[in-house]
Amino acid sequence: MEFVNSHLLSLILFSPAVASVIILLIPAGRVRLIRWAAFLLSLVPLALSVYLWQSYDPSASGYQFVEQQGWYAAVRSSYHVGVDGISVSMVLLTTLLTPLAILISWSVQERVRAYMALFLFLEMGMLGVFLSLDLLVFFIFWEIGLVPMYFLINQWGSANRNYASFKFLIFTMAGSLGLLLAIQLIGLTVGTFDLVEISQVWPAFELPLKVAGLPIQIPTETVKIVAFWAFVVAFAIKVPVWPFHTWLPDAHTEAPTAGSMILAGVLLKLGGYGFLRLVLPLYPEQSQAYAGALAGLAVLAIVLGAFGSWGQTDFKRLVAYSSVNHMGFVILGVAAVAKAYGTLSASEAVIAANGAVLQMFNHGLSAAGMFLLVGVIYERTHTRDLAAFRGLFPLAPVFGGILIFTSMASLGLPGLNGFISEYMVVQGSWPIFTAYTAIAMIGLLITGAYILKAIGSVLHGPLNEAWAGHAMEINRREVLAIVPLMILILTIGVWPAWILRVIEPTVTRLFG
Amino acid sequence: MIPLSWYLILAAALFCIGMYGVLGRRNAIAILMGIELMLNAVNINLVAFWRYLSPQVIGGQVFTIIVFAVAASEAAVGLALIISIYRQRSTVIAEEVDLMKW
Amino acid sequence: MSTELLVWLIPLPPLLAFGLIILRAHRSNRVSTGLAVGAMVLSWAMGLVVFGQAVATEHLGDHPIASSIPWLPLGPDVLEMGVLIDPLSAITLFFVVWTCLAIFVYSIGYHNFGKARDAHDKPGLPPHAGGIDPLYARFFAFISLFAFGMLTLVVADNLLLLFIGWEIMGLCSYLLIGFWFGKDSAKKAMVKAFMTTRVGDVFMLLGIAALYISTGTLSFSEILRNPETLHHLAETPAFLGLSMAGLIGLLLFAGTVGKSAQFPLHVWLPDAMEGPTPVSAMIHAATMVSAGIYLILRFFPLLSAGWHPGEPLTTTMVVIAAIGAFTALFASTIAVAQNDIKRVLAYSTISQLGYMVAAVGVGAFIAAAFHLVTHAFFKALLFLGSGSVIHGMEHGAHASHDHVDPQDMMNMGGLRRKMPWTFWTFLIGGLALSGFPLITAGFWSKDEILASAYGGNQPVVFGVLALAALLTAFYTARQIGLTFLGEPRSDAAEHAHESSRVMLAPLVVLSIFSIAAGWAGIKGDFPFIGGSIPNWVEEFLAGALVEHPAEIGFTFPPLLTSLVVALGGLGIGWLVYRRIPRGGTDPLVRWLGPVHRILRNKYYFDELYGFLFVRPAYWFAETFTYAWVDRRVIDGILHAVGRASLRLGGWLRRAIDVPVVNGFGDWVGESTKSAGRTFRVIQSGRVQAYLAAALLFTGLLLSFLLLVRP
Repeated sequence: MEFVNSHLLSLILFSPAVASVIILLIPAGRVRLIRWAAFLLSLVPLALSVYLWQSYDPSASGYQFVEQQGWYAAVRSSYHVGVDGISVSMVLLTTLLTPLAILISWSVQERVRAYMALFLFLEMGMLGVFLSLDLLVFFIFWEIGLVPMYFLINQWGSANRNYASFKFLIFTMAGSLGLLLAIQLIGLTVGTFDLVEISQVWPAFELPLKVAGLPIQIPTETVKIVAFWAFVVAFAIKVPVWPFHTWLPDAHTEAPTAGSMILAGVLLKLGGYGFLRLVLPLYPEQSQAYAGALAGLAVLAIVLGAFGSWGQTDFKRLVAYSSVNHMGFVILGVAAVAKAYGTLSASEAVIAANGAVLQMFNHGLSAAGMFLLVGVIYERTHTRDLAAFRGLFPLAPVFGGILIFTSMASLGLPGLNGFISEYMVVQGSWPIFTAYTAIAMIGLLITGAYILKAIGSVLHGPLNEAWAGHAMEINRREVLAIVPLMILILTIGVWPAWILRVIEPTVTRLFG
Repeated sequence: MIPLSWYLILAAALFCIGMYGVLGRRNAIAILMGIELMLNAVNINLVAFWRYLSPQVIGGQVFTIIVFAVAASEAAVGLALIISIYRQRSTVIAEEVDLMKW
Repeated sequence: MSTELLVWLIPLPPLLAFGLIILRAHRSNRVSTGLAVGAMVLSWAMGLVVFGQAVATEHLGDHPIASSIPWLPLGPDVLEMGVLIDPLSAITLFFVVWTCLAIFVYSIGYHNFGKARDAHDKPGLPPHAGGIDPLYARFFAFISLFAFGMLTLVVADNLLLLFIGWEIMGLCSYLLIGFWFGKDSAKKAMVKAFMTTRVGDVFMLLGIAALYISTGTLSFSEILRNPETLHHLAETPAFLGLSMAGLIGLLLFAGTVGKSAQFPLHVWLPDAMEGPTPVSAMIHAATMVSAGIYLILRFFPLLSAGWHPGEPLTTTMVVIAAIGAFTALFASTIAVAQNDIKRVLAYSTISQLGYMVAAVGVGAFIAAAFHLVTHAFFKALLFLGSGSVIHGMEHGAHASHDHVDPQDMMNMGGLRRKMPWTFWTFLIGGLALSGFPLITAGFWSKDEILASAYGGNQPVVFGVLALAALLTAFYTARQIGLTFLGEPRSDAAEHAHESSRVMLAPLVVLSIFSIAAGWAGIKGDFPFIGGSIPNWVEEFLAGALVEHPAEIGFTFPPLLTSLVVALGGLGIGWLVYRRIPRGGTDPLVRWLGPVHRILRNKYYFDELYGFLFVRPAYWFAETFTYAWVDRRVIDGILHAVGRASLRLGGWLRRAIDVPVVNGFGDWVGESTKSAGRTFRVIQSGRVQAYLAAALLFTGLLLSFLLLVRP
């Protein structure tokens, strides 16, 4: 127990990798064993992170469960992990969604072993990003996550998967390029990659930088602005912020169901997390200067994401676009915090930041749920065309009920989780970006339109006779996979304090 | 005492006869015999120089003996090759053995 | 058990019933009915106990029944969540629990509980022939959730909790309007209702945000009973000459416009008639539309901040009064030309809500609240009555195989003999709606609104409302005449028969309230009878405000006006419509000509909105955002970058890789080869030639060494 306590984060981080290796040792033909092993092994990090959640002390300041090991002494980079209120919620989200995604992957028939191993490996990559406190390690995990996801889309995706996986990879890589350069710049200038040290030194760093070999000196300000945008673009692509969002509908639509769940549920959060963990603390002045632009892009994401979603005829693509819409609120909250940094409205901005973190968590739940449901109906009808469903409610009442429930969470119905976070973001941004917030309301309105379009096309109207007699109802395993999400959706909606109690002190400390 | 030049002239004559045999004759055996003559012409030179110039060291004789050995082994190998070629192609004419030619 | 705890518990039984029915009990219709109705009875009983406690409390307004718990940590502050019973919520609670219970009981009969399920009936479509609805249990689950939403809204002590109840009702109205989702029209109507109200809701959300930012709280008592806060809000300029209070008031009022179907967001409500009739009653009378009025009544101190009785209205109040009065008249003109029995009532509801909104706009808080209560009773009665008529007509249509539209009043007539109970209760409701003098509740509340408008020096509002009242009385008489009087105009009407007792009992209860509720609010200085019954409504409700509203003294002009318009409208309607023969047409068509067509088509607002908003929005979504911006521009740029990279790669290969790098390697190889080709001639294979050459070169070398070098 002593060992578990002192190495809790490493255990969480590497248990999926170990699980992945174990899966690879099972003979490929024993599909059932592989599935169950993957599912059960993925419960290990979940159990550990629930334990982490329980033992995390919200009132203590700074990072907790910190572990540091020498790793790459030559550049003063070390294996340094730790959690605060923001990352602990993201870790919980990741470890929660992975078992559910594995549970919904029973329908994968080909190369099950490779699939499951990649999935667990992916989990490690994502967890690494949330846990690491060293920029170099952060970047490595950031990139590690890409590879399994690329193969999941490329190998187990649907018709247009080559295009989609390629677009996903190229887009993200394009962002990572600048990120890597900026990280190196910081690392070399400050002399360490340790985030805790950098956070103290870098924001106030003033010395003019000499670019190797060049006779000119570039003012620190310019360098910082360039590095700031390098960070922002990398994370904006991941979130995604308009206009970097077009990889998302393709990737989400072509990925296998579980892949879409993880993409929407966790991978997008890496971007938002990057904003909160790196961009704001490292570049407070630059963030403040460009907050308006960021808020503008966020509002465009909210509004155009909603319209884009409404304009779809493909169910899965509709849900994919809704992510653009919802993640826009995260960025709006981030922009509000950036703008208010050090001003009188900082206390309002904290509401927005809390909202942004909670919105990430909430979107993780509802988007994953939506993709799961799209997957369920796709497995039964082999189509995603909204015009092809029509009137399935009588055939699948339980599925219909769950779909309405999850959609309503996504729509932001009060009493469910989405409302709380969206309300908090709107509340916090209103005094800071009044006009932008007002425009964002158009997005909120259209959110209703696309959600109702989806529900209406699938469930309501006269039954499409083509499906009469088909078994459409959701099965027990799938219900089992979505029920935890539904419970959390409802719990957060009714009693948000249980999760905000963890998030709020950290956010207040960072941005208050 | 017979002057050195006589020996040298003899050796040169012998060498030239041998060289004629090597260059002028088509029969491989004759060529081989020409080579023997040339080698022996050299031997005469070696022995003659040893006797006239440095009789106290035996270097010249040693060289001569080495040349004998080489010539003998060369003749043996060469004859074996020629016999082998003859068996294969029923000829010992050097120009007709042109397999390695481009 | 303390009263506070009881208040907390009021909304919960229906929620519990909803959960149980959805999760397990839906398999048994009997258990579902029991759960839903039982839960509602429980809420009803608790509601009445709380109401009784509230009435018994002295100075309830200053010492409301309230309790709260911390709920949402918002940075440094924690938002509290709690319940509050003050005079306004007490009186709202009273009519909500009564109407809800009536509707629950009525639904049992309306959905043919106890009948066998017809094998031809499909889930999501209304039953054809009097069988139990295939989704019977689901209906009770939905209305239970609906009741939960409304009760939450009523007992809420802060705007956020009110909004939660508000939106839950929105969801339920969506689900209930689309209860027969198998019909395309219902599918359209449910989306329309949700989206139209959502337009108002997003403004309201902004209002909530603005209110919290300006005051740091959302609690009703902290904002609305705190003159300093209100004064501060009224003095803070926002923009366009509005004060902060005015801006927030307008934003919140936008929510009311959506929820209470005021112009210009009125279009959803008539379409909401696609739902089963108890749903219409629930949405239109007891709960949802009342919620909008409840909201502006609740925020009356904020809306009217900076205004005192007798002064000119603030901008916000002018907007509210104008929208209310216009809606009242506008909707009543449409109602005149509708033939669908439920649609007439729908437009009538819009019109009556306009009355209340206008009353709030002119500062007549008590009159508006009073009309809210009486209207809830008589409109629920009318809707349930119309449901009973439709039920009877459907039965008649099935029995006579005369498959006419059972909701079209032109197919009815003479039903007073077939359905006497329905007739008499409907008549009471109709008279209350028209404001039939002295005996009906509608008269007293409507008269008070007219008197307030008159007394408040708002002649325009007064005139518009009076005209609307005339039309109201006229279309009510038309409806009663076409439906119940004369002779049956179809076989279905001839074979119609009275509904079951479980449906009639709620009608009777509601008709009692439709009459008696008015007597609680007779002005003390009303001629002859004033003072004989204490004006309880005014005394009780005045406590809801810190600044007690000035009593408007009795004057004759408004009374005479309301007498004339009510009796005049009823009289004209009765004369025209008392016997329309079989195959007859509506005389209005002849008299009004093209105007009638415009009215019949609701001033073409659906078409106008379709043209102005819906189709452009679709275009914006499908064509602009997706096809143009995302596909063509952004992806176009990406693909262009991709293609450019490919082309650059191709060029690099063609211009550098192939000619330079590969070319050099190839050249080395090629030139080696050609050199070999050149020199191979010397490789003759003739040993003697080699030897000759060797000799020659040895000779040359020797001559060089011996002759040239020394």
